[in-house]
Amino acid sequence: MSSVNPSAPFSAEFDPNSQEFSLAGVVRPRSADEIATSLSTLKEAIEEVRGVLYINVKRLIQMNNTAFHAFVRVVLDACRARSDLRFVIITSSVVGWTTRMFAHLNKLEPQITVEVYDSKFYPGQNFVENTSFIPILRTQTKMTWRHERAILPRHGMRPGIVMADICCGIGDFAVLVQKEFQPARIVALDHSKASLAYARDVAAGFGITDIEYTYGDASEMLLEDNQFDLVTCRHSLQIFNRPDVLLGELYRICKPGGRVYITNEKNSHCLGEPRSQSIQWTYNEVAKLFSHFEMDVELGPKSRRYLVDAGFEDIIVETFMVTNLDGDPRDFADVIMAWEDVYAGEMAVKRGDSAEFIQRFRQGFQDHIFAALHPKGYAGWPIWVASGRKPL
Amino acid sequence: MHVAEKEPEADFEPLLQLEMEMGTFLSDWHHCDQLSTFVARMISHNRTDPVRHSNFFSSALNELLEVLFRGGSPDGQIGCAVYRQGPTERVKLTFPCPPRQRHFLNEAVAKARRGDALARYLDSISADLAPTRDAVLLDLAINFDALIHLEDSAPSSITLVVDLPLEGIVT
Repeated sequence: MSSVNPSAPFSAEFDPNSQEFSLAGVVRPRSADEIATSLSTLKEAIEEVRGVLYINVKRLIQMNNTAFHAFVRVVLDACRARSDLRFVIITSSVVGWTTRMFAHLNKLEPQITVEVYDSKFYPGQNFVENTSFIPILRTQTKMTWRHERAILPRHGMRPGIVMADICCGIGDFAVLVQKEFQPARIVALDHSKASLAYARDVAAGFGITDIEYTYGDASEMLLEDNQFDLVTCRHSLQIFNRPDVLLGELYRICKPGGRVYITNEKNSHCLGEPRSQSIQWTYNEVAKLFSHFEMDVELGPKSRRYLVDAGFEDIIVETFMVTNLDGDPRDFADVIMAWEDVYAGEMAVKRGDSAEFIQRFRQGFQDHIFAALHPKGYAGWPIWVASGRKPL
Repeated sequence: MHVAEKEPEADFEPLLQLEMEMGTFLSDWHHCDQLSTFVARMISHNRTDPVRHSNFFSSALNELLEVLFRGGSPDGQIGCAVYRQGPTERVKLTFPCPPRQRHFLNEAVAKARRGDALARYLDSISADLAPTRDAVLLDLAINFDALIHLEDSAPSSITLVVDLPLEGIVT
């Protein structure tokens, strides 16, 4: 065996502005001496802060008992020496053992509390992880797959590759990819346990056993560096408040020479005839509504800039328009109906919009459905597809 | 007494088995990390959430390997076998064990099985500067819901058997 340690690098950092000491990566020392510098950083942080010291272990992938005892020793000693100081340890719901191990500290010292980082993952999380979003995801994938199955090979999809579908939702895209392209391995990650449960049921129903569905935080994944030939992330950068952070994670897990494939929308460009003005007004308002919740559903054309800034090369950008002429126009109408339910029925209400606004807002969706189902009508939903290659 | 006769893994499906010279194993501390990561990945791929199961399993197996590393002598072989029954993985670590060490190991396993294991575990966190063998086995019992026992192996060897019901914890 090689003597090189292949595990994720370990880091211990203190941010005095947020009074947060962060541990990340894999730390399995043989003795506490090997992490003396990190222990000193913690001691210095304790000396410097007032009130509360946050200890962030969300990105701590592995920590052996040697390291755990050493760090805990410093914290427990500080509790006994400084009754004015509180410690808040932030663990991740993804890395289960950290929550179990650190939770005991509160039994030893009431000055220590442990919080599991989960519910405030990103501002729009409650909307997109609600089970009411499942019908949207299912009908959307049905509509977009007709286009993407032809587009994907231009962006690195081919049989036998190792791929990850990040923010996989209900996993239907992964199932379609598995059936159409037969990659050697698919890891499909999402932060919604309800969606993952649905995904596993769907896969089981199709007799598909080789998709690895995993619960995780897309902006801080347990997946290791440089392991996938293709990383797909569809309709998701646009609903993160920090798309650059998410893209950085996609870059990290992509192999050098592999590609990251993203799809996003520009909602204000949804269109329809007849009743185009009402439709246009509503979709302009959709963009504003998402912006209120720190989501950018106008991100599509910005994909190239994001990919360039993240360090990708050989960037390919293309667009396609899902329309009422793709198959059954009722499918298109179903998508719009699902949007109306969530955007007007939940998000606008949550924003505190007036009944008059919501009525006009709903009318645009209804007019879009009218255009889709009209025998001479045309209704469209544009999607921006982009991918970039991670440099060798 | 918690040393049982070696019994066949009647209801457990064998998943993986490897052997290594103790001298080779003890030549590099990183072998604990490398072996635990490799074995965890191999046996977790068909669990409900392979990535998180692998992370959890690696954490437990690494602790066991570190215990062996710290107390090991360079003679003989280390054997690591993993079995599965429903939501539980059974890890069997077989290694050379002189009588004196066997006694201490038996004591540590007994402590991890007792009703006051949590109190002992909290004491170890609170008081010990570095984790002892007892503390590691208590950690597995408390944080990984592990059931631990010992089996007699070949002369001068012993097998540490650890049942880890991680599938239920992870999902």
